Amino acid sequence: MNSFTHTRLLALLLTVIGLSIFATKVVRYDYPLSPGARTTTWDFEIYLDFDTNNQPVRLETFIPSNSESRRVSQEQFYNGAFGLRLDTKSAEGRTAIWTYRYPNDRKVLRYRARLVGETESTPLPEGMHRKLQRAAPETENDLERQAFLVWSTDLRRRSADDESLADLVLQEIFVDEDVDEVEALLSPTLPSSISRLALARDVLTAQGIPARVANGIYLDQARRRAEIHHWLEYYADGADHRYFPGLDPEEFFTIWHGTDDFIRAEGISDLDLQVSIEPVNAAVADVAQRVARDEGSAMQWFGFNRLPITTQLVYQVIVTIPVGILMLVFLRQFIGLQTLGTFMPVLIGIAFRETALLNGIILFTALIALGLAVRFYLERLKLLLVPRLATVVVFIVICMAVVAQLMSNTGQRIGLSISLFPMVILTMTIERMSIVWEEYSATDAIKQGLGSLLVASAAYLVMTNPTVEYFMFNFPELLLVIMAICLLMGKYTGLRLSELIRFRELDTRK
Amino acid sequence: MIGRYRALRRAGLLGINERNLRLVNELNPRRLIRLVDDKRETKRLAMAAGIPTPELYGVIANPFHMRHLESYLDKPDGVVIKPANGSQGNGIQVLMEPMRGGWRRSNGQRAMLEDIRFHVNNILSGMYSLSGQPDVAMFEYRVKFDEIFNPISFGGVPDIRIIVVRGIPAVAMVRLPTAESDGKANLHKGGVGVGLDLVTGKTLSGMQNGKTTDIHPDTANPLKNFSVPHWDAMLEMAAKAYDVTGLGYLGADIVLDKGKGPLLLELNARPGLAIQIANRIGIRPLLNATLEADTEGMDALARVELARKLYRQNVPEVV
Repeated sequence: MNSFTHTRLLALLLTVIGLSIFATKVVRYDYPLSPGARTTTWDFEIYLDFDTNNQPVRLETFIPSNSESRRVSQEQFYNGAFGLRLDTKSAEGRTAIWTYRYPNDRKVLRYRARLVGETESTPLPEGMHRKLQRAAPETENDLERQAFLVWSTDLRRRSADDESLADLVLQEIFVDEDVDEVEALLSPTLPSSISRLALARDVLTAQGIPARVANGIYLDQARRRAEIHHWLEYYADGADHRYFPGLDPEEFFTIWHGTDDFIRAEGISDLDLQVSIEPVNAAVADVAQRVARDEGSAMQWFGFNRLPITTQLVYQVIVTIPVGILMLVFLRQFIGLQTLGTFMPVLIGIAFRETALLNGIILFTALIALGLAVRFYLERLKLLLVPRLATVVVFIVICMAVVAQLMSNTGQRIGLSISLFPMVILTMTIERMSIVWEEYSATDAIKQGLGSLLVASAAYLVMTNPTVEYFMFNFPELLLVIMAICLLMGKYTGLRLSELIRFRELDTRK
Repeated sequence: MIGRYRALRRAGLLGINERNLRLVNELNPRRLIRLVDDKRETKRLAMAAGIPTPELYGVIANPFHMRHLESYLDKPDGVVIKPANGSQGNGIQVLMEPMRGGWRRSNGQRAMLEDIRFHVNNILSGMYSLSGQPDVAMFEYRVKFDEIFNPISFGGVPDIRIIVVRGIPAVAMVRLPTAESDGKANLHKGGVGVGLDLVTGKTLSGMQNGKTTDIHPDTANPLKNFSVPHWDAMLEMAAKAYDVTGLGYLGADIVLDKGKGPLLLELNARPGLAIQIANRIGIRPLLNATLEADTEGMDALARVELARKLYRQNVPEVV
């Protein structure tokens, strides 16, 4: 069997396997073929990784709970050897209590659920709509009580009704700076943001306005480390109000109320807490439900839905890389684009994910130009190769730090994201480009640099295409088909597009 | 575009993809390519087989050897410094002769000892080697080229490239230095490539920077009808290079020294395709014939005869 037939048979085999799994999923298990519209469903995960110090451990954490306005479904606990008790009685929220008497080394606990978020128009529960008696605050410190009463009486006098009173309270606590009464009354034991919310709550409830501190997450975009936010809910003059310090989120989810800590633990150290969220497309949700329903069927092995969300997010990126590489192979073998390094353009394309395309191209070009300038300057000092490369790396880091500073001053968000821009790739690109520059010509160097940029952009566009992401993530068996295409392209002996230009002189048509 | 594609295919043009698949991958096993990537190894093999090469004065393989540098450079006729694993002529420095405070380079500039030491350090650190691996600097006899090509070259050494397939010389060209190429005979630096009739060793028309030309850009003399001296010997050297390396697809680079005749400079396991423009032919038909030819039991001389026969059969004679 010659190698051509061999390759074709292998490619055929891979395609058949890949497409049959794909077809089975679509026909037999009704996997949807399009991403579908976005819904307000989110995958939520709490991931706790900690050192047990070999002593008994008790770890409590608030977890999302169902209420009139919030929905939690498909809850899963990954306890390992730990005992789990759920405390649902507390008014502040549902608590998961993990305990274990003889642990050793590091342990991991996980909680997963699917959430339906809340918005500003979500009503507060009925219990919040009962007007309270005005009451003096409970505090043992007479001086504080005095200050509190004077301040709240003053606020009451300056307001017309409950709503304007609440506005005034929030204004003085959060917006106006250095209001002496506020500074004096803030609880020293709580973190600043929460103590302000707690003070606002105390003033409002003392004035008979139902109020409480709410804690939870903002559902804005997929995050591997979502922040816990705190805000105030109150009911004034027959309407629900929420006050978010900072920017108002469009969608959020309340996990617990009050000023308790999210995690309370005994006997552990070095806790790594990750709260991750990921929006679930309607169709993806269907897929996941289908997988859950067909538990035990073979199809669940051809997907990532059973992995932890943090891992899923990583795989969502990884499975698109072969598509970018397919693009690169095509551009090199059929078009004949010249690039610096073999897979470097795809790596640059991945880096563009952090910066978005236009910013990425600008940054890439600017950093390469600066780096090249330094590289040529260093040439005059006649340094050895590795120390010279190292100098360029340090220079690139400095440039990136400066860019981050400039960007944050002008309020641009890309300043933060370029920190992940792989600078080693940049440095290698600079080094290769400068060698091409010296040994061939500036034209060649710029040509190859532009080629790399072009391939990187194409790879980026392909890899971030929602349809590509959807198909690769939910139908990873298509990787076999990509492999088959690569095999077949490996046997292409025809001319490249660039060769039609290069050898134009041999075109004897008149 | 499609019309151009068809026309080029009809002209028998060989593309990079096909070269890589059918020639490099099929005929050049990786372990053999190593032999020619290291020029010291090539030189050793060639000498063992009686193929003449420029004399090796010495090698600097590590900074410790650097103390020999001045003795290697101390040659009244000049010296060539090259990386043992360099490619495409990168990192080669030609010193013509000693001059006050340094050495005169082929472009007339003066190189100081410090410049040369820096260059050798760059070579050692792998700047010019194929994969950035640490490399070795070689110091060689500087070829005093035959004056036959003087009317059609400008500074530097012209060389002859013969592509050999399965030990059968297939196509050849002369590469001429120009002002643009800084005295180097590399085509991608602006050197002129002139096709050679494989049977007679006579020059045909030429090309520079991918465009055909009939005159040398600097001297304005016509490129046609120069006879390369020692042509038979060169063909035999090229054919023998196959016997010593086992590479089924190779480019032999030969220079013509005034006193010593043809010398093998280096062998290339992935020779480029610009030779087709220089010869104004597509080489696929010739290549197919060469790939199918029966060479059982033939020595280098017999393969040269076969080469001439195949060439005449597959390439139209230019009158």
